[in-house]
Amino acid sequence: MAQPLVKKDDDRDDEAEYSPFLGIEKGAVLQEARVFNDPQLDPRRCSQVITKLLYLLNQGESFTKIEATEVFFAVTKLFQSRDIGLRRMVYLMIKELSPSADEVIIVTSSLMKDMNSKTDMYRANAIRVLCRITDGTLLTQIERYLKQAIVDKNPVVASAALVSGIHLLQTNPEVVKRWSNEVQEAVQSRAALVQFHALALLHQIRQNDRLAVSKLVTSLTRGNVRSPLAQCLLIRYTSQVIRESATSAQTGDRPFYDFLEGCLRHKAEMVIFEAARAITELSGVTSRELTPAITVLQLFLSSSKPVLRFAAVRTLNKVAMTHPMAVTNCNIDMESLISDQNRSIATLAITTLLKTGNESSVDRLMKQITNFMSDIADEFKIVVVEAIRSLCLKFPLKYRALMNFLSNILREEGGFDYKKAIVDSIVILIRDIPEAKESGLLHLCEFIEDCEFTYLSTQILHFLGDEGPKTSDPSKYIRYIYNRVHLENATVRAAAVSTLSKFGAMVDSLKPRIFVLLRRCLFDSDDEVRDRATLYINTLGGDGEVVETDKDVKTFLFGSLDIPLANLETSLKNYDPSEEPFDINSVPREIKSQPLAEKKAPGKKPTGLGAAPTGPPSTVDAYERLLSSIPEFSGFGKLFKSSAPVELTEAETEYAVNVVKHIFDGHVVFQYNCTNTIPEQLLENVNVVVDASEAEEFSEVARKPLSSLPYDSPGQTFVAFEKPDGVPAIGKFSNVLRFTVKEVDPTTGEAEDDGVEDEYQLEDLEVVAADYMMKVGVSNFRNAWESMGPDFERVDEYGLGPRDSLAEAVNAVISLLGMQPCEGTEVVPNNSRSHTCLLSGVYIGNVRVLVRLQFGIDGPKDVAMKLAVRSEDEAVSDAIHEIVASG
Amino acid sequence: MLLAVLICNSVGNILVERFNGVPAEERMHWRSFLVKLGADNLKGARNEEYFVASHKSVYVVYTVLGDIHLFVAGKDGYDELALVEVVTVITTSIKDSCKKTPTERLFLDKYGRICLCLDEIVYKGILENTAKDRIKRLIRLKPPNEI
Repeated sequence: MAQPLVKKDDDRDDEAEYSPFLGIEKGAVLQEARVFNDPQLDPRRCSQVITKLLYLLNQGESFTKIEATEVFFAVTKLFQSRDIGLRRMVYLMIKELSPSADEVIIVTSSLMKDMNSKTDMYRANAIRVLCRITDGTLLTQIERYLKQAIVDKNPVVASAALVSGIHLLQTNPEVVKRWSNEVQEAVQSRAALVQFHALALLHQIRQNDRLAVSKLVTSLTRGNVRSPLAQCLLIRYTSQVIRESATSAQTGDRPFYDFLEGCLRHKAEMVIFEAARAITELSGVTSRELTPAITVLQLFLSSSKPVLRFAAVRTLNKVAMTHPMAVTNCNIDMESLISDQNRSIATLAITTLLKTGNESSVDRLMKQITNFMSDIADEFKIVVVEAIRSLCLKFPLKYRALMNFLSNILREEGGFDYKKAIVDSIVILIRDIPEAKESGLLHLCEFIEDCEFTYLSTQILHFLGDEGPKTSDPSKYIRYIYNRVHLENATVRAAAVSTLSKFGAMVDSLKPRIFVLLRRCLFDSDDEVRDRATLYINTLGGDGEVVETDKDVKTFLFGSLDIPLANLETSLKNYDPSEEPFDINSVPREIKSQPLAEKKAPGKKPTGLGAAPTGPPSTVDAYERLLSSIPEFSGFGKLFKSSAPVELTEAETEYAVNVVKHIFDGHVVFQYNCTNTIPEQLLENVNVVVDASEAEEFSEVARKPLSSLPYDSPGQTFVAFEKPDGVPAIGKFSNVLRFTVKEVDPTTGEAEDDGVEDEYQLEDLEVVAADYMMKVGVSNFRNAWESMGPDFERVDEYGLGPRDSLAEAVNAVISLLGMQPCEGTEVVPNNSRSHTCLLSGVYIGNVRVLVRLQFGIDGPKDVAMKLAVRSEDEAVSDAIHEIVASG
Repeated sequence: MLLAVLICNSVGNILVERFNGVPAEERMHWRSFLVKLGADNLKGARNEEYFVASHKSVYVVYTVLGDIHLFVAGKDGYDELALVEVVTVITTSIKDSCKKTPTERLFLDKYGRICLCLDEIVYKGILENTAKDRIKRLIRLKPPNEI
């Protein structure tokens, strides 16, 4: 904040004679308000006092209940005066005071009188005041007058009633909905603002009636709308109708498109912009439809008015997300906006350019952004950093330039959120682009040398501990980490000790030196640091010799707790300190199922430091540990892949069940996550009976029922199937949940002794080819393709038949194969006739697979595809073709 | 919805603030945000040069008029271009009330009249009137000329 927000009377002395409200005091003004009670009212004096009261109220001064009531009663006396100026002030003052329900009655008779006055202006104001302070019962009394007012020939009266209607619709919808005939009449008014308000109110009244809205739009788009504001409303309502109606199948024409396009030639900029935006937001908009809208937006980009430039670049920024090619024509105009004085405009221009630019323009853009970054605020910088992160993932070959840029801005001044955004971006780039790893880690090391944020330092140290030991020369990171032990606060020192021990555990040659460093930490002033050092010296073992670290120790250091933290927290809270130590094995391992909405969030990428390393135990790692702890499944070997949970029940049913498919070489395990949502029931002996008659190659070998499933405490039951080794067998499974249900007394929470057997039908489940493919990307597809070589390359062509669009065909093949799209090739530019998509993955048996798909579409929307597969195994290349041929 | 109309002097002292649909606890943040926006950008700006900003789904259009800074914030239907309409009618009405480009003193002298103008322009977050001549008559309870 630049200046303190002080009341005007706190001004400096040199402005002593400046303000007419100098030295204004609430108490004194309230005293002055007694003039309202004078038998001989002085209108001028009364107006002055009201102005002072308004000034106080507008400055955020609040009146106590008693003060407000006193002033309100005094103000009502002013209705006796016939002075017009004073009456206008009285109306305003009553609205500002917002009297309580029991006080309103004092003033209603005066207002009702004014509402029936012959003077139109009294009527208009009385309507506004009454509607502001009224409640439902009074409203029915005055409804008749309001309906008349809506069609009053005086536009001020009509507008007052209509705007009041818009407000009253929120509190008394059933009353206002009765006015629709009058409002409909007002829509035809010749007064521009009456039409505007009437249109807004009529739409709100009828918004749930699609046919009525469609009729309204049809009649008005043919007729004459008088004000630009009303025209803008009409455009919005038209867009809504377009969204809800289908494009004509025969002509391919979109209803009302001509109207929107016509509005692009309106004389008011507001209308032109609204129409352009509406066109850009049409679903499935084609290039032909977009072009005129983009053209007017491009003109706005070079307008002298900042608001127009802002509006245009904001809209183009949105268009760039879905139709980057359509916006490229505006790139030159947008580049000139990078130096716009308005930083919002400049930031939007930059981020749009980052979305629409191609690989060759990256370097030039980065140069321009570097100059720009120094003079924008943190919130804008964060937007730019996020755009650069996406750009880098799109063009991984450019990682060097982009990583350098990120490391440079990391060294500059900035707040926590900004620094966190940069660090998160670097971490994501390290994860997704293996070549960027070493340089990225060094940038992070340099950052923690001078990092003022404890949170970021500890997170980076944790990340370094995981990734650093896997680099070609782990020893170079030790100096940066050990410096933390000398220079930082206790939290960071403790994190550094943990990181050092991870290096010791993973890199045997470094172990003796790490031991020396850890021993020094035994004398730290903080007990947590000392405790950690002691713990790690003991767990690493070998007494500082160059020996291999125990597998268990590595699991302890690198593994997650394997217990949901929320469960651990609850158990610890419930633990009574006693002779008996806390037993970590007593903590329940059931994962509380998330709300459905969260679960369904599609393909959310890890967002940086916080997410992946310490993520919840839903990762393959955690699943692997969970499965290996069950004796029946421990002999299945290494877990290849676990699917995302597939819902087997609809939302808000009595029992919520989803399933995770765990794929092993010769087995498949279904993990059914069940939740009982009925408080009055306890389920026991919960099992899923699986019918595998449509999955011939699978035979059930083991199952693990769930002994008890209380209300809202999720549990898991498992069923395992054997399948031929290494074969990607597919099939369909039908599932029935079978259990014994016992009634629970809601008062005591105790279940009855006797239960009833019951079952509950679940959705079917399929094991598909994609389940045998792991999504593993490559940063440079071309290099990977070349190095894989053509030895086991298989190429064939397929007809995919008629498809809605090329994009739909591309998505269908990607999900059929379950592979990772590379270099952003899953996005098909609008209206393109051909497209190449690159995929990468690891097939069961740990065989790397690369796929190059070339699509073409002809007139009647028939899609043809050329599929080229390269892999490390001939049989796998053939298998991929088989999947496509049978899919 | 027009969320806020805020008028302050050139050093950030609030002269008029009207919030609609903004919870009381958020008003202080909006006040600080808008005043800071003005402090950062309005120095050296021409009279009635319009500036624009957005914060999440809220748009702000603001300008300077003599000693006075005016901010209008809106969302949904009240996007940046609709807010320009609102700012234009408010600045015109202020100039009309003060008879010229206002100094702070002049603004405070005409405080009551300006409050009435604002009352005619914005009714609980909805733009009600846009014509300055009509507003000029309405605040004196005179019917508009077109009747």
